[in-house]
Amino acid sequence: MKITNLKNILFKSTRLILASTLTSAALVWSSASFAGGTEYDLRVDGLACPFCAYGIEKKFTKTKGVESVEVDLKNGLVIVKTDESKTFKEEELKTIVHDAGFTMKSMTEKAR
Amino acid sequence: MARRTVNCCLVGLSPLLFFAIGSAVAAPITFNTALPVAKEEFLFRQQFINMQSGDDPSGAQRDRSENMSATTLAYGINNRLALFGVLPYRDIDLSMDMGSGKVSRSNSGLGDISVFARYIFQQNNQAGRTLRLAAFAGLKAPTGEDEASDSIGTLPPPLQLGSGSWDAFGGLVVTRQTLDYQLDAQLSYRINNEANHFEAGNVLRLDASLQKRIWPRELGSGVPGFVYAVLELNATSQEKNALNGTNDNNSGGTRILLAPGLQYVTRRWIAETAVQFPVSQNLNGTALELDTIARAGIRFNF
Repeated sequence: MKITNLKNILFKSTRLILASTLTSAALVWSSASFAGGTEYDLRVDGLACPFCAYGIEKKFTKTKGVESVEVDLKNGLVIVKTDESKTFKEEELKTIVHDAGFTMKSMTEKAR
Repeated sequence: MARRTVNCCLVGLSPLLFFAIGSAVAAPITFNTALPVAKEEFLFRQQFINMQSGDDPSGAQRDRSENMSATTLAYGINNRLALFGVLPYRDIDLSMDMGSGKVSRSNSGLGDISVFARYIFQQNNQAGRTLRLAAFAGLKAPTGEDEASDSIGTLPPPLQLGSGSWDAFGGLVVTRQTLDYQLDAQLSYRINNEANHFEAGNVLRLDASLQKRIWPRELGSGVPGFVYAVLELNATSQEKNALNGTNDNNSGGTRILLAPGLQYVTRRWIAETAVQFPVSQNLNGTALELDTIARAGIRFNF
Protein backbone atom coordinates (compact mmCIF):
# COMPACT_ATOMS: atom_id res chain seq x y z
CA MET A 1 0.00 0.00 0.00
CA LYS A 2 2.67 2.41 1.07
CA ILE A 3 4.73 1.51 -1.98
CA THR A 4 1.77 2.16 -4.29
CA ASN A 5 1.20 5.59 -2.71
CA LEU A 6 4.85 6.43 -3.08
CA LYS A 7 4.74 5.44 -6.75
CA ASN A 8 1.70 7.68 -7.28
CA ILE A 9 3.37 10.61 -5.59
CA LEU A 10 6.51 10.11 -7.66
CA PHE A 11 4.46 9.79 -10.86
CA LYS A 12 2.49 12.97 -10.12
CA SER A 13 5.63 14.88 -9.15
CA THR A 14 7.36 13.82 -12.36
CA ARG A 15 4.37 14.94 -14.42
CA LEU A 16 4.31 18.25 -12.57
CA ILE A 17 8.02 18.88 -13.13
CA LEU A 18 7.70 17.91 -16.78
CA ALA A 19 4.73 20.20 -17.27
CA SER A 20 6.51 23.08 -15.54
CA THR A 21 9.61 22.57 -17.64
CA LEU A 22 7.61 22.51 -20.85
CA THR A 23 5.67 25.60 -19.81
CA SER A 24 8.90 27.45 -18.97
CA ALA A 25 10.47 26.41 -22.25
CA ALA A 26 7.41 27.57 -24.13
CA LEU A 27 7.49 30.90 -22.32
CA VAL A 28 11.20 31.35 -23.07
CA TRP A 29 10.66 30.45 -26.73
CA SER A 30 7.67 32.75 -26.88
CA SER A 31 9.52 35.71 -25.39
CA ALA A 32 12.49 35.09 -27.70
CA SER A 33 10.25 34.93 -30.73
CA PHE A 34 8.53 38.16 -29.92
CA ALA A 35 11.54 40.03 -28.51
CA GLY A 36 11.11 42.74 -31.11
CA GLY A 37 13.99 44.29 -32.94
CA THR A 38 15.02 44.03 -36.53
CA GLU A 39 17.75 42.40 -38.56
CA TYR A 40 19.18 44.41 -41.43
CA ASP A 41 21.22 42.59 -44.07
CA LEU A 42 23.32 45.10 -45.98
CA ARG A 43 25.22 44.53 -49.22
CA VAL A 44 28.29 46.74 -48.89
CA ASP A 45 30.80 47.51 -51.62
CA GLY A 46 34.44 48.31 -50.86
CA LEU A 47 34.95 45.90 -47.95
CA ALA A 48 38.26 44.27 -48.81
CA CYS A 49 40.20 43.53 -45.62
CA PRO A 50 39.65 42.76 -41.92
CA PHE A 51 40.90 46.20 -40.91
CA CYS A 52 38.13 47.76 -43.03
CA ALA A 53 35.52 45.58 -41.38
CA TYR A 54 36.21 47.02 -37.94
CA GLY A 55 35.56 50.55 -39.18
CA ILE A 56 32.03 49.71 -40.23
CA GLU A 57 31.37 47.56 -37.17
CA LYS A 58 32.35 50.43 -34.93
CA LYS A 59 30.13 52.90 -36.74
CA PHE A 60 27.12 50.70 -36.11
CA THR A 61 27.91 49.67 -32.57
CA LYS A 62 28.11 53.35 -31.62
CA THR A 63 24.45 53.69 -32.57
CA LYS A 64 22.03 53.31 -29.66
CA GLY A 65 19.79 50.29 -29.99
CA VAL A 66 22.18 48.23 -32.11
CA GLU A 67 22.68 44.85 -30.43
CA SER A 68 25.19 43.25 -32.77
CA VAL A 69 27.04 43.68 -36.03
CA GLU A 70 28.46 40.84 -38.08
CA VAL A 71 30.58 41.24 -41.19
CA ASP A 72 31.01 38.60 -43.87
CA LEU A 73 33.95 39.82 -45.95
CA LYS A 74 33.70 37.17 -48.65
CA ASN A 75 30.14 38.07 -49.50
CA GLY A 76 30.34 41.79 -48.72
CA LEU A 77 27.57 41.39 -46.19
CA VAL A 78 26.99 43.38 -43.00
CA ILE A 79 24.29 42.06 -40.65
CA VAL A 80 23.01 44.58 -38.11
CA LYS A 81 20.65 43.48 -35.36
CA THR A 82 18.73 46.04 -33.33
CA ASP A 83 16.52 45.87 -30.29
CA GLU A 84 12.88 46.95 -30.35
CA SER A 85 13.82 50.56 -29.55
CA LYS A 86 15.68 51.08 -32.81
CA THR A 87 14.65 51.04 -36.44
CA PHE A 88 16.75 52.27 -39.33
CA LYS A 89 15.60 54.02 -42.45
CA GLU A 90 17.50 53.11 -45.60
CA GLU A 91 19.02 56.57 -45.92
CA GLU A 92 20.33 56.38 -42.36
CA LEU A 93 22.02 53.07 -43.10
CA LYS A 94 23.54 54.46 -46.28
CA THR A 95 24.94 57.44 -44.39
CA ILE A 96 26.56 55.27 -41.72
CA VAL A 97 28.13 53.01 -44.34
CA HIS A 98 29.26 56.05 -46.34
CA ASP A 99 30.85 57.66 -43.26
CA ALA A 100 32.82 54.47 -42.73
CA GLY A 101 34.20 54.83 -46.28
CA PHE A 102 32.06 52.27 -48.10
CA THR A 103 28.98 52.10 -50.31
CA MET A 104 25.72 50.39 -49.43
CA LYS A 105 24.27 48.72 -52.51
CA SER A 106 21.13 47.16 -51.13
CA MET A 107 19.46 46.08 -47.91
CA THR A 108 16.79 43.75 -46.62
CA GLU A 109 15.14 43.91 -43.23
CA LYS A 110 13.19 41.40 -41.24
CA ALA A 111 11.66 41.22 -37.80
CA ARG A 112 13.58 39.13 -35.31
CA MET B 1 91.15 71.86 -41.07
CA ALA B 2 90.21 68.55 -39.47
CA ARG B 3 86.90 70.03 -38.28
CA ARG B 4 86.16 71.21 -41.81
CA THR B 5 86.86 67.75 -43.23
CA VAL B 6 84.55 66.17 -40.69
CA ASN B 7 81.70 68.55 -41.54
CA CYS B 8 82.19 68.11 -45.27
CA CYS B 9 82.00 64.32 -45.00
CA LEU B 10 79.05 64.47 -42.65
CA VAL B 11 77.06 66.80 -44.87
CA GLY B 12 77.41 64.13 -47.53
CA LEU B 13 75.28 61.93 -45.30
CA SER B 14 72.31 64.23 -45.26
CA PRO B 15 70.22 62.40 -47.91
CA LEU B 16 69.84 59.66 -45.33
CA LEU B 17 68.30 62.10 -42.89
CA PHE B 18 65.55 63.11 -45.26
CA PHE B 19 65.02 59.63 -46.56
CA ALA B 20 64.28 58.53 -43.02
CA ILE B 21 61.82 61.31 -42.29
CA GLY B 22 60.02 60.85 -45.57
CA SER B 23 59.67 57.16 -45.00
CA ALA B 24 58.28 57.67 -41.54
CA VAL B 25 55.15 59.24 -43.03
CA ALA B 26 53.96 55.79 -43.87
CA ALA B 27 50.89 53.63 -44.07
CA PRO B 28 51.42 50.11 -45.54
CA ILE B 29 54.98 49.53 -44.36
CA THR B 30 57.39 51.94 -45.97
CA PHE B 31 55.28 54.81 -47.27
CA ASN B 32 52.09 56.79 -47.02
CA THR B 33 49.00 55.49 -48.77
CA ALA B 34 45.25 55.95 -49.05
CA LEU B 35 44.44 53.79 -46.07
CA PRO B 36 40.84 54.58 -45.19
CA VAL B 37 40.36 56.53 -41.99
CA ALA B 38 36.66 56.57 -41.23
CA LYS B 39 34.80 59.74 -40.32
CA GLU B 40 35.45 60.80 -36.70
CA GLU B 41 37.68 57.79 -36.07
CA PHE B 42 41.32 57.58 -34.99
CA LEU B 43 44.08 55.40 -36.30
CA PHE B 44 47.34 54.93 -34.41
CA ARG B 45 50.55 53.54 -35.80
CA GLN B 46 53.84 52.85 -34.07
CA GLN B 47 56.86 51.86 -36.07
CA PHE B 48 60.44 51.07 -35.08
CA ILE B 49 63.06 51.67 -37.73
CA ASN B 50 66.74 50.76 -37.84
CA MET B 51 68.82 52.29 -40.60
CA GLN B 52 72.39 51.27 -41.36
CA SER B 53 74.85 52.97 -43.70
CA GLY B 54 78.44 51.92 -43.92
CA ASP B 55 79.50 51.65 -47.55
CA ASP B 56 81.69 54.75 -47.72
CA PRO B 57 83.27 55.70 -51.06
CA SER B 58 85.23 58.55 -49.41
CA GLY B 59 87.64 56.19 -47.62
CA ALA B 60 86.85 57.81 -44.27
CA GLN B 61 85.13 54.60 -43.14
CA ARG B 62 82.01 56.48 -42.13
CA ASP B 63 79.54 54.26 -40.38
CA ARG B 64 76.13 55.64 -39.51
CA SER B 65 73.27 53.96 -37.69
CA GLU B 66 69.94 55.35 -36.63
CA ASN B 67 67.16 53.89 -34.53
CA MET B 68 63.88 55.67 -34.86
CA SER B 69 60.50 55.33 -33.21
CA ALA B 70 57.86 56.90 -35.42
CA THR B 71 54.43 57.49 -33.91
CA THR B 72 51.62 58.31 -36.30
CA LEU B 73 48.12 59.43 -35.40
CA ALA B 74 45.39 59.92 -37.99
CA TYR B 75 41.89 61.33 -37.62
CA GLY B 76 39.07 61.31 -40.13
CA ILE B 77 37.41 64.72 -40.42
CA ASN B 78 34.91 63.12 -42.78
CA ASN B 79 34.95 60.12 -45.08
CA ARG B 80 37.22 61.95 -47.57
CA LEU B 81 39.44 64.25 -45.51
CA ALA B 82 41.88 62.92 -42.91
CA LEU B 83 44.59 64.58 -40.84
CA PHE B 84 47.86 62.87 -39.96
CA GLY B 85 50.63 63.67 -37.53
CA VAL B 86 53.99 61.92 -37.27
CA LEU B 87 56.27 62.26 -34.29
CA PRO B 88 59.73 60.69 -34.57
CA TYR B 89 62.11 59.89 -31.76
CA ARG B 90 65.63 59.51 -33.12
CA ASP B 91 68.83 57.97 -31.86
CA ILE B 92 71.74 58.56 -34.25
CA ASP B 93 75.33 57.29 -34.09
CA LEU B 94 78.10 58.10 -36.48
CA SER B 95 81.72 57.03 -36.49
CA MET B 96 84.46 57.83 -38.94
CA ASP B 97 88.21 57.47 -39.30
CA MET B 98 89.99 60.80 -38.83
CA GLY B 99 93.47 59.46 -39.53
CA SER B 100 94.44 59.77 -35.87
CA GLY B 101 91.75 57.28 -34.93
CA LYS B 102 88.06 56.61 -35.03
CA VAL B 103 85.76 59.43 -33.93
CA SER B 104 82.23 58.64 -32.78
CA ARG B 105 79.44 61.16 -32.32
CA SER B 106 75.83 60.65 -31.40
CA ASN B 107 72.58 62.42 -30.66
CA SER B 108 69.11 61.38 -29.58
CA GLY B 109 65.73 62.93 -28.85
CA LEU B 110 62.50 64.06 -30.47
CA GLY B 111 62.78 64.92 -34.14
CA ASP B 112 60.77 67.14 -36.43
CA ILE B 113 57.01 66.64 -36.41
CA SER B 114 55.22 66.24 -39.74
CA VAL B 115 51.55 67.05 -40.18
CA PHE B 116 49.58 66.58 -43.35
CA ALA B 117 46.10 66.38 -44.74
CA ARG B 118 44.87 63.84 -47.25
CA TYR B 119 41.81 64.25 -49.40
CA ILE B 120 40.28 61.34 -51.31
CA PHE B 121 38.99 62.93 -54.50
CA GLN B 122 37.98 59.75 -56.27
CA GLN B 123 36.60 56.58 -54.78
CA ASN B 124 35.06 53.66 -56.57
CA ASN B 125 33.70 50.87 -54.38
CA GLN B 126 32.68 47.53 -55.84
CA ALA B 127 31.91 44.17 -54.30
CA GLY B 128 35.05 43.07 -52.42
CA ARG B 129 37.21 45.78 -53.92
CA THR B 130 37.89 49.48 -53.89
CA LEU B 131 39.87 52.09 -55.80
CA ARG B 132 40.90 55.30 -54.14
CA LEU B 133 42.76 58.32 -55.48
CA ALA B 134 43.93 60.92 -53.02
CA ALA B 135 46.06 64.03 -52.79
CA PHE B 136 48.03 64.99 -49.73
CA ALA B 137 49.99 68.03 -48.59
CA GLY B 138 51.75 68.85 -45.40
CA LEU B 139 54.47 70.55 -43.46
CA LYS B 140 57.43 69.40 -41.45
CA ALA B 141 57.86 71.67 -38.45
CA PRO B 142 61.29 72.35 -36.91
CA THR B 143 60.46 70.83 -33.53
CA GLY B 144 63.64 68.78 -33.23
CA GLU B 145 66.82 70.29 -31.86
CA ASP B 146 68.89 71.65 -34.72
CA GLU B 147 71.88 73.24 -32.99
CA ALA B 148 73.03 70.44 -30.71
CA SER B 149 76.73 70.11 -29.96
CA ASP B 150 79.16 67.73 -28.32
CA SER B 151 82.73 68.02 -27.04
CA ILE B 152 84.00 68.41 -30.60
CA GLY B 153 81.63 71.24 -31.46
CA THR B 154 78.28 71.80 -33.13
CA LEU B 155 76.96 68.63 -34.68
CA PRO B 156 76.59 68.64 -38.46
CA PRO B 157 73.08 68.43 -40.03
CA PRO B 158 72.95 64.61 -40.35
CA LEU B 159 73.46 64.29 -36.60
CA GLN B 160 70.94 66.96 -35.68
CA LEU B 161 67.51 65.72 -34.65
CA GLY B 162 65.78 68.41 -36.66
CA SER B 163 66.60 70.42 -39.74
CA GLY B 164 65.60 73.76 -38.23
CA SER B 165 63.51 74.55 -41.28
CA TRP B 166 59.85 74.45 -42.21
CA ASP B 167 59.58 72.13 -45.18
CA ALA B 168 56.59 71.42 -47.39
CA PHE B 169 55.61 68.23 -49.15
CA GLY B 170 52.74 66.93 -51.20
CA GLY B 171 51.76 64.30 -53.68
CA LEU B 172 49.26 61.83 -55.01
CA VAL B 173 48.48 58.34 -53.81
CA VAL B 174 46.41 55.59 -55.37
CA THR B 175 45.14 52.41 -53.73
CA ARG B 176 43.60 49.40 -55.41
CA GLN B 177 42.40 46.89 -52.85
CA THR B 178 40.66 43.57 -53.34
CA LEU B 179 40.11 40.62 -51.06
CA ASP B 180 43.18 38.93 -52.59
CA TYR B 181 45.67 41.77 -52.91
CA GLN B 182 46.32 45.46 -52.42
CA LEU B 183 48.35 47.74 -54.64
CA ASP B 184 49.42 51.22 -53.52
CA ALA B 185 51.50 53.79 -55.33
CA GLN B 186 52.57 57.21 -54.23
CA LEU B 187 54.32 60.09 -56.01
CA SER B 188 55.51 62.92 -53.82
CA TYR B 189 57.72 65.97 -53.81
CA ARG B 190 59.34 67.63 -50.84
CA ILE B 191 60.67 71.19 -50.77
CA ASN B 192 63.39 71.62 -48.17
CA ASN B 193 64.27 75.06 -46.91
CA GLU B 194 67.43 76.62 -45.48
CA ALA B 195 68.25 76.78 -41.79
CA ASN B 196 71.56 77.27 -40.02
CA HIS B 197 73.24 77.95 -43.40
CA PHE B 198 72.30 74.47 -44.61
CA GLU B 199 69.65 73.54 -47.12
CA ALA B 200 68.96 69.91 -47.98
CA GLY B 201 68.13 69.15 -51.58
CA ASN B 202 64.51 68.77 -52.60
CA VAL B 203 63.31 65.17 -52.89
CA LEU B 204 61.17 63.46 -55.50
CA ARG B 205 59.85 60.04 -54.45
CA LEU B 206 58.01 57.23 -56.12
CA ASP B 207 56.83 54.42 -53.88
CA ALA B 208 54.85 51.31 -54.68
CA SER B 209 53.58 48.43 -52.57
CA LEU B 210 52.02 45.11 -53.46
CA GLN B 211 50.39 43.10 -50.68
CA LYS B 212 49.22 39.61 -51.59
CA ARG B 213 47.06 37.58 -49.23
CA ILE B 214 48.79 34.27 -48.54
CA TRP B 215 46.62 33.12 -45.62
CA PRO B 216 43.86 32.06 -45.49
CA ARG B 217 44.09 30.78 -49.04
CA GLU B 218 40.34 30.39 -49.30
CA LEU B 219 38.06 32.86 -47.61
CA GLY B 220 35.40 31.49 -45.31
CA SER B 221 32.63 33.39 -43.62
CA GLY B 222 33.12 36.13 -41.08
CA VAL B 223 36.28 38.21 -40.70
CA PRO B 224 39.39 36.04 -40.43
CA GLY B 225 42.86 37.52 -39.90
CA PHE B 226 44.84 37.94 -43.12
CA VAL B 227 48.55 37.33 -43.68
CA TYR B 228 49.94 39.35 -46.55
CA ALA B 229 53.27 38.86 -48.31
CA VAL B 230 54.50 42.33 -49.14
CA LEU B 231 56.89 43.69 -51.73
CA GLU B 232 57.56 47.40 -51.80
CA LEU B 233 59.68 49.67 -53.94
CA ASN B 234 61.03 53.07 -52.96
CA ALA B 235 62.71 55.28 -55.53
CA THR B 236 64.09 58.66 -54.46
CA SER B 237 65.86 61.39 -56.31
CA GLN B 238 67.37 64.17 -54.26
CA GLU B 239 68.97 67.39 -55.43
CA LYS B 240 72.31 68.46 -54.02
CA ASN B 241 72.43 70.07 -50.61
CA ALA B 242 73.66 73.59 -50.21
CA LEU B 243 76.04 74.77 -47.48
CA ASN B 244 76.34 78.54 -47.11
CA GLY B 245 74.63 78.86 -50.48
CA THR B 246 77.09 76.57 -52.27
CA ASN B 247 76.07 73.20 -53.65
CA ASP B 248 77.68 70.20 -51.99
CA ASN B 249 78.87 67.92 -54.77
CA ASN B 250 79.00 64.99 -52.37
CA SER B 251 75.29 64.94 -51.77
CA GLY B 252 72.10 64.05 -53.56
CA GLY B 253 71.51 61.42 -56.19
CA THR B 254 69.08 58.59 -56.76
CA ARG B 255 68.29 55.44 -54.83
CA ILE B 256 66.05 52.49 -55.52
CA LEU B 257 65.18 50.17 -52.67
CA LEU B 258 63.23 46.92 -52.60
CA ALA B 259 61.51 45.78 -49.43
CA PRO B 260 60.10 42.32 -48.89
CA GLY B 261 57.87 42.12 -45.84
CA LEU B 262 54.98 40.53 -44.01
CA GLN B 263 51.76 41.87 -42.55
CA TYR B 264 49.26 40.24 -40.24
CA VAL B 265 45.96 42.06 -40.49
CA THR B 266 43.08 41.66 -38.02
CA ARG B 267 39.99 43.74 -37.42
CA ARG B 268 41.56 45.85 -34.68
CA TRP B 269 45.27 45.80 -35.37
CA ILE B 270 47.99 45.17 -37.91
CA ALA B 271 51.50 43.89 -37.23
CA GLU B 272 54.04 44.44 -39.96
CA THR B 273 57.71 44.13 -40.76
CA ALA B 274 59.91 44.73 -43.78
CA VAL B 275 63.57 45.16 -44.67
CA GLN B 276 64.56 47.62 -47.37
CA PHE B 277 67.59 46.71 -49.49
CA PRO B 278 69.20 49.02 -52.04
CA VAL B 279 69.15 47.67 -55.58
CA SER B 280 70.58 50.82 -57.11
CA GLN B 281 72.38 53.81 -55.61
CA ASN B 282 73.59 56.45 -57.99
CA LEU B 283 74.79 59.09 -55.58
CA ASN B 284 76.85 62.20 -56.21
CA GLY B 285 80.52 62.28 -55.19
CA THR B 286 81.28 60.53 -51.95
CA ALA B 287 77.75 60.57 -50.52
CA LEU B 288 77.42 57.68 -48.10
CA GLU B 289 75.52 54.67 -49.40
CA LEU B 290 72.68 53.02 -47.55
CA ASP B 291 72.99 49.40 -46.39
CA THR B 292 69.58 48.45 -45.02
CA ILE B 293 66.48 49.83 -43.34
CA ALA B 294 64.60 47.40 -41.10
CA ARG B 295 61.08 48.20 -39.96
CA ALA B 296 58.66 46.64 -37.52
CA GLY B 297 55.44 48.13 -36.30
CA ILE B 298 51.85 47.89 -35.23
CA ARG B 299 48.73 49.78 -36.21
CA PHE B 300 45.53 50.16 -34.20
CA ASN B 301 42.08 51.18 -35.22
CA PHE B 302 40.29 52.77 -32.27
